[in-house]
Amino acid sequence: MAVSLSKGGNVSLSKEAPGLTAVVVGLGWDARVTDGKDFDLDASVFITGEDGKVRSDADFVFYNNKTGADGAVEHQGDNRTGEGDGDDEQVKIDLSKVPADVKKLVFAVTIHEADDRGQNFGQVSNAFMRVINQAGEAELARYDLSEDYSTETALVFGELYRHGDEWKFKAVGAGFAGGLNALAASHGVNMG
Amino acid sequence: MALTLSKGQNLSLTKTDPGLNNVLIGLGWDPRVTDGSEFDLDASVFLLGDNGKVRSSADFIFYNQMKSACGSVEHTGDNRTGEGEGDDEQLKVDLSKVPADVTKIAITVTIHDAQPRGQSFGQVDNAFIRIVNDATGAEVVRYDLSEDYSTESAMIFADLYRHNGEWKFKAVGQGYAGGLKAMCDQYGIAI
Repeated sequence: MAVSLSKGGNVSLSKEAPGLTAVVVGLGWDARVTDGKDFDLDASVFITGEDGKVRSDADFVFYNNKTGADGAVEHQGDNRTGEGDGDDEQVKIDLSKVPADVKKLVFAVTIHEADDRGQNFGQVSNAFMRVINQAGEAELARYDLSEDYSTETALVFGELYRHGDEWKFKAVGAGFAGGLNALAASHGVNMG
Repeated sequence: MALTLSKGQNLSLTKTDPGLNNVLIGLGWDPRVTDGSEFDLDASVFLLGDNGKVRSSADFIFYNQMKSACGSVEHTGDNRTGEGEGDDEQLKVDLSKVPADVTKIAITVTIHDAQPRGQSFGQVDNAFIRIVNDATGAEVVRYDLSEDYSTESAMIFADLYRHNGEWKFKAVGQGYAGGLKAMCDQYGIAI
C-alpha cells in the first residue's frame, strides 16, 4: 500500500507495508539541454546511532563509499549528468540487515560543486527524490526538488528510523544552503 | 509590490495575483554607450507541449511572426537598440486562450547578428524581464539578468508554465552559445 507523505509526515512502514524488508531511495533529474556545466546531483546516506551522529566516517555512504551498515546499505553508483529515464541514482536498503546499534538512516541529495557552478535545484528540470518499497515498487514519498526546493543545493529528504520494534519513515524536506559539507558536519562526519 | 526572483526560483502567478489573465511580458536592456554596433536584443516565445517541443513552427512567436495561431500570444514589435526607459520589447499573453496542450511558454531573448558583431549577453547592461498584469498595470514579478554570461547569445530568460492547475513563472537564465539556431533545434523548430 502506497502512502503519500507530505513534509514532516511519517508512516510506520511495518504497519503500512507488512513484510516490508527493503526500500529503494531514488533520485532523478533531466540532463542539461542548455550550454554550461552538467547538473550533477548526488544521493547519499548517513547511518546514525542513538545520538544522531554517525558511528564512524564509514557510516557516510556516498559515491566514494558505496556500502555501509555491514552491507545493508548499497549505493548503486554515481550518475554525473542525469542522462536516462527514471531514477538516475539509487540507494538500496535491506532493513533486516541493519545492525542493532543503528537507529536512523538519513537520506540526502546535494548538487556537486553547486557553488562553483552557480547552480541550485530550481535550474534542474524534473528533479525529484523518492522512496519506494523494493517489493512491488510502491512509492512511499516523493519531493519535487525543481519546484519546491528551487533555491536549495542540499536537502535532507527523509529518515528511516527505528521506533520500538518498527521501522518508520519520515519525510523531512529540510534544505541546507551550505551544501554537502554543512550536511555532513551536522551528522558528525569529518570531511577532512 | 513586485517580487524579484533569482536564477532557478519560481513563483505561482495564480496565487500571487489571482485575477491575472492578461499578462504583459516586458523585456528591457540598456543601449550601448561604447562605440560599436548596437545591441539588438530580440524577444521571442516558444509554445511548448509536454514533451518540451513546439507543436509546429507556428508556435514560435517572434518579430517576423507576431501572433500565435491561437491568438493567445502577441508580440508588440521590434526594438533594435534598447533606447528608451522601461520595457524595450513586449509580448502579451491571454492565459485563458492558451491551448490546453501547451504546458509551457518559454520566453527567450537572442542577440541579433551576435556572431558577426561579436556580441554576447556578458556585454549587455541591465537586461531584465518582468511580468505585468495588463489589466491593472501592476508588476507581478521580475528577474534581473545580473550574472555574467560571457558566451551565450541566446537565452531562455524565463518560463511561464502550468503546474497543478496553476500558472507559474520560473527565472531560468540559461542559454546557448550557438544562438537562435541552437535554441530552435532544442525546441524542435527547423530554421
